[in-house]
Amino acid sequence: MEYLMYEQIERYLSGKMVDDEKAAFEALIQTDLRLAEQVKEHRTLLQAMQQYGQRQELRSKLNSIHSKMEAEATHVELPMWRVFWNRHAQTMAVAASISLLSVFGTLWTVEQLKAPAQQQTARYVELRREVDKLKKAQTAIIKDINNTTKPAPRPARFSGTGFALSANGYLVTSSHVVEGADSIMIENTSGAKYKVSEVYRDQTHDLSILKIEDPTFEGFGKLPYTFKTAESDLGEMVYTLGYPREDVVFGEGSLSSTSGFEGDTTAYQISIPLNPGNSGGPLLDDKGNLIGVISGKQAGQEGAAFAIKSAYLLQLMSELPLATTLSPLSLPKHNTLAGNSRPQQLKKLKDFVFVVKVYN
Amino acid sequence: MKKGLYETDEAIIAGIRSGDDRALTYLYKLHFPMISHFILSNSGTDDEAKDIYQEGVIVFYEKIKSDSLELTCQIKTYLYSVCRRLWLKRLAEKGRFATKVDDAENYLMLEEDAPQQEENERRFGVMEDAMNQLGEPCKTLLEDYYIRMQNMQDITDRFGYTNTDTAKNQKYKCLQRLKKLFFAAYQAEV
Repeated sequence: MEYLMYEQIERYLSGKMVDDEKAAFEALIQTDLRLAEQVKEHRTLLQAMQQYGQRQELRSKLNSIHSKMEAEATHVELPMWRVFWNRHAQTMAVAASISLLSVFGTLWTVEQLKAPAQQQTARYVELRREVDKLKKAQTAIIKDINNTTKPAPRPARFSGTGFALSANGYLVTSSHVVEGADSIMIENTSGAKYKVSEVYRDQTHDLSILKIEDPTFEGFGKLPYTFKTAESDLGEMVYTLGYPREDVVFGEGSLSSTSGFEGDTTAYQISIPLNPGNSGGPLLDDKGNLIGVISGKQAGQEGAAFAIKSAYLLQLMSELPLATTLSPLSLPKHNTLAGNSRPQQLKKLKDFVFVVKVYN
Repeated sequence: MKKGLYETDEAIIAGIRSGDDRALTYLYKLHFPMISHFILSNSGTDDEAKDIYQEGVIVFYEKIKSDSLELTCQIKTYLYSVCRRLWLKRLAEKGRFATKVDDAENYLMLEEDAPQQEENERRFGVMEDAMNQLGEPCKTLLEDYYIRMQNMQDITDRFGYTNTDTAKNQKYKCLQRLKKLFFAAYQAEV
C-alpha cells in the first residue's frame, strides 16, 4: 500500500514520530534517494498547500474587511459637488460676502447720492387743509352755551380755497379739495356763506367746478379779473389769496418755471409760500389776470409750489356740458384790477375768493 | 473596537501575530486610503488598488506570521513600499512603464525581499491552479484534511465513505494527482 508510505512521510514531516522511529526513517532517507526525493517533494507540497490555505483564508478576510469598509464609506461618501463645496466653502463664503457687500454697498451709496434728488421730485403735496378739530369743537361748545336751541353744526373735515368763475355762481377749486365730500360750503371774508355742489370734475388737471345751490344767492356781481389765455412769462410777479387758516392770507412771489411738478407742462412752478388750505386758490399776475389755480407744492423744498395753468381751466369751462350750466359761461371781459395797487386789488378780489369747507 | 487598542505599530504587529482579526481589520482600514490614492493617481483603478493593497497586506501578514519581518520603519512606509513595488511590476506587465511615479510617501526599495515574495507568489499561483484543476471532491477533501486540519473520521462521515480507510485511500489518490499537477508547473528554486 503506497499510501502507508505517505503516512509515514507525513508523520515524519509533522514531527509525530518517536525518536527511534525518526532516527530509523532518517537513516532510510540517507540510503534511499528516491525516498529522500519523495520526502522533499511532499514537504514542498504540504507547505504550498498550507500557504495556499492561509492565503485563501486571508483573502476572504481582507475581502470582507474591504466590503465592510466600503459599506461604511458609501453612506458617508460625498458627491463631487459636496467635496468641492467642503473644500471651497470658506473661500466662497468670503467671496459671496464681499460681492454682497459691494453690491449692497454700491446700491446704498447710490441711494444716498440719489436721495436728495428723489426728494426733490418725489413728493407732491396737495394743499388741502385738515381742519383743526379741537378749535372747532371749542367754538361749537361756546356756541352751544350761547344758543342751546340750535344743534351744534358739524365741523368741516377739510378745507381749501375756491374762487368765482362767473357772476352766476360758478366757482372753481382743486378737485382734491372736494374729494369724497358729502356736502360743501363756501364762505368769504365778508360773511357770504353758500352751499355748493360739485358739477364737473377734471381729475387729470385736478380741477373741480362748483355751483352755488343756495336759493338766496343773487350773483357775485361783476368779476374784477380776467382769465389769461396765453402762457405767462418766467419771472413774472404773481400772487395768490387763499385760506390756509380761518382767515384769508395773501401770498406773493414769482413765476419760477413754466412747467410744474416733474416737468408737467399743464402747470407752473411758482415761488410763493403756500400751506395746506391754499389749494384751489387763484393765481394772478401783476395786472390782475388770472393765470392759474394753486394745486400743490413739493415736500421738503422751499418755495416750490405749483399752479394749474389758466388755459386748462378755460378748456374745462368750455367742456362743461350745457345741461349743467344751462347757459354758457360768459367770461369776464374787463379787468378792473389792472393799474391798482396791490392792497386795492386785494380789496376787490377778496369777495370772490372763498374758503371751501368739505363735510364728510 | 476601541481605536486606542492599536495605536502603535507594535500593538498592531502583536495583534496580528496573536491572530487577532481586529488588529488586521484596523490595519487594513488605516492604510487603504493611502494606497488607493497612490494607485489612482498613477493610472490605476479602484479594483486594482484593492488588489494591490491586499497583496501588500498579505505580504506583510505572512512576514509577521513567519517571523521574518525586520521592520526598520513604520508599517505605513513598509506597506507603501511593498505596494509601490507591486504596482510598478503590474504596470510593467501591462506594458506600461511608468516613467515617473507620483509618490505621496517615503518608501524603501525592499529589493532583497522581492525574490522571496515573488517565489511565494508563484508557488501560491501554481497551487491555486492545481487545486482548481483537481476538481471536487478532491479539492475539498484535501483542504479539509491539510488546511482545515479536520480529523479523518469527520471527513469520512461528511463525504459518505464507508470507513476511514476508504477516505484515506481517496485522499491518497487525490494527493497523488495534486502532486502531479503541482510539480508539472512548479520547480522549486529556493
